[in-house]
Amino acid sequence: MFSDTFALTARDLKKWVRNPATIMPGLFLAVFWLALFGSSFNPTNLIPTQIGGTSLPPAVLSQIRSAIVGTFGGAPTYITYLTAGIISLIAVINMAYGGIGIVLDRQLGFRNMLLASPISRASIYFSGVLQNFTKVMVLALLTFVVALLIPNGLQLAQGFGILGFLGFFAAFALLTFAFSCIFTTIAFSVKAVEPLVAIANFIAFPLAFISNSLFPIASFPNWMKTIAQVNPISKANEAARLLIVNGSLSTSQMGIFAGDILYLAVFALAFTILGYVAAKKALKAE
Amino acid sequence: MKTNIIEAVNLTKTYKKTVKAVDHISFSVEEGELFGFIGPNGAGKTTTIKMLTTLASITDGTASVAGYDVDKNPAAVRENIGIVPQELTADDELKGVENLLLSAKLHHVPNDVARKKGKELLELLELEGAAQRQVKTYSGGMRRRLQLAMGLIHEPKILFLDEPTLGLDIQTRQNMWTYIRDLNRKEGITVFMTTHYLEEADSLCDRIAIIDGGVIKVSGSPSQLKEKLGGDVLTLELNGDSDATLFLRNIEGISEVTKGDSVYRIKLLQAGKVLPSIIEEITRKGFTIAQIGLTKPTLDQVFLQVTGSSMRDEGSNGDAFGQRILIERLK
Repeated sequence: MFSDTFALTARDLKKWVRNPATIMPGLFLAVFWLALFGSSFNPTNLIPTQIGGTSLPPAVLSQIRSAIVGTFGGAPTYITYLTAGIISLIAVINMAYGGIGIVLDRQLGFRNMLLASPISRASIYFSGVLQNFTKVMVLALLTFVVALLIPNGLQLAQGFGILGFLGFFAAFALLTFAFSCIFTTIAFSVKAVEPLVAIANFIAFPLAFISNSLFPIASFPNWMKTIAQVNPISKANEAARLLIVNGSLSTSQMGIFAGDILYLAVFALAFTILGYVAAKKALKAE
Repeated sequence: MKTNIIEAVNLTKTYKKTVKAVDHISFSVEEGELFGFIGPNGAGKTTTIKMLTTLASITDGTASVAGYDVDKNPAAVRENIGIVPQELTADDELKGVENLLLSAKLHHVPNDVARKKGKELLELLELEGAAQRQVKTYSGGMRRRLQLAMGLIHEPKILFLDEPTLGLDIQTRQNMWTYIRDLNRKEGITVFMTTHYLEEADSLCDRIAIIDGGVIKVSGSPSQLKEKLGGDVLTLELNGDSDATLFLRNIEGISEVTKGDSVYRIKLLQAGKVLPSIIEEITRKGFTIAQIGLTKPTLDQVFLQVTGSSMRDEGSNGDAFGQRILIERLK
């Protein structure tokens, strides 16, 4: 099964590497969100310096400022806060596009060629999951680099080293893997590209907006808060932000981080299994 | 005695309990045979191939391929078959040789064996010069040939060909026929093919079955089926006024004579054998032949007699294209 999965994944990635232009739309999206949307919003600039003609004392101003920065998880710039959110937003949106190749394979008869060959059905599913996952993780890495290159953009805390980097991407890897399972299964079940994109948008956007991706949950109405708190996207963002904002974690922060990673791991495992069961059904003889 | 490598008994496929694409068909294919399924579009040819190759579930009846029950042991069937589908499934972005090796991987052929066999096939199908090029640069004929190579890389016992020459020009088609014939005669691979080109079935197949509306109408060797039509037709124009009808009817080998003006329409079996003696008798009797012509029955005539000659685009019950669209929707 592993060599079958590997052969099929290699086929997809070979096609992807030969056609690097396909990564550009995702990368542009990252640049637009981070450089344009991110730079347009700086919450500390909205603090009034005087109220009713009276100037606020500098001590009060600085207290308000640090309170707001605190709401943003201690991120020194909005882009520092936003980077994790945009990585997860782009990951979820690009999953939909990753599914297009799977639908085209069905339309062009490639799927039938696989199904009539002796390879295990599981390898067809897992190769779909893996190729989507790999593409999105490369995009996530590029988005991280873009955030670092933007003036006044992503500012990494002192002490953010190789372990922090690995932890940061581990959170997104688990999130991306789970979503890859979901979207691969959807792609196996639909016959055309249009419903795939429609379903993907229907899932991806609400899920991304009802999370801490763009703004802190504190500003949400209560019903959104409830959903956002259990949303795995929020967990991945929270774990990733802890690392870039703090560098090295305190014991209590480590507890939150470990909780988030565990949550994401369970989520990924659950959807790997659910996705496999559903995909196996979708891949059955017609 | 040769064994049946494909055996279908009352094979049936119904989509969503309403549309019968294939309706209780039974047939068998002997090992080493080149068997053709012919029929109009939407007759059930592709559905039958899909059932035999484990891609479509069987609603009723049974089928065995290479000795394995298709429904109960699909994995074993898949090990023994090669498929060249109607759609060209080779990947445009990959090189010819990469497609071939991927196909080998899907059938668990060890790398070194795949490389060797791949080289042989590329040579045989005259693709070695294009092997390192991406498939998107290939012509239609090259794609078909590559597809054939992909279906053969794992040395299957049975090769399923679904419309193998669809859309090819006449030279390429004839080359394709040569490849298919060689595979069958020299390599001993059993071939199950569908086509709606009758001259293709006539030229290639040992035996054919004509399917229409999901039902097998007739089966047999192409020459048997043509003979069933009543054999060859000789048209004869004699000089002079005397009526030769009675005299002609009594000649051995002639089964039927009709006369219109001065031209006789004579039905005979195995014209090649009896024609010389017929001409001899006519001249011995003192008749002189003004004009003579011979029409051999074609598979087209057999086909039209069996399936009816009405147009299939009127949206009636026999509307084959409509049937296909309906099945696509129901899947």
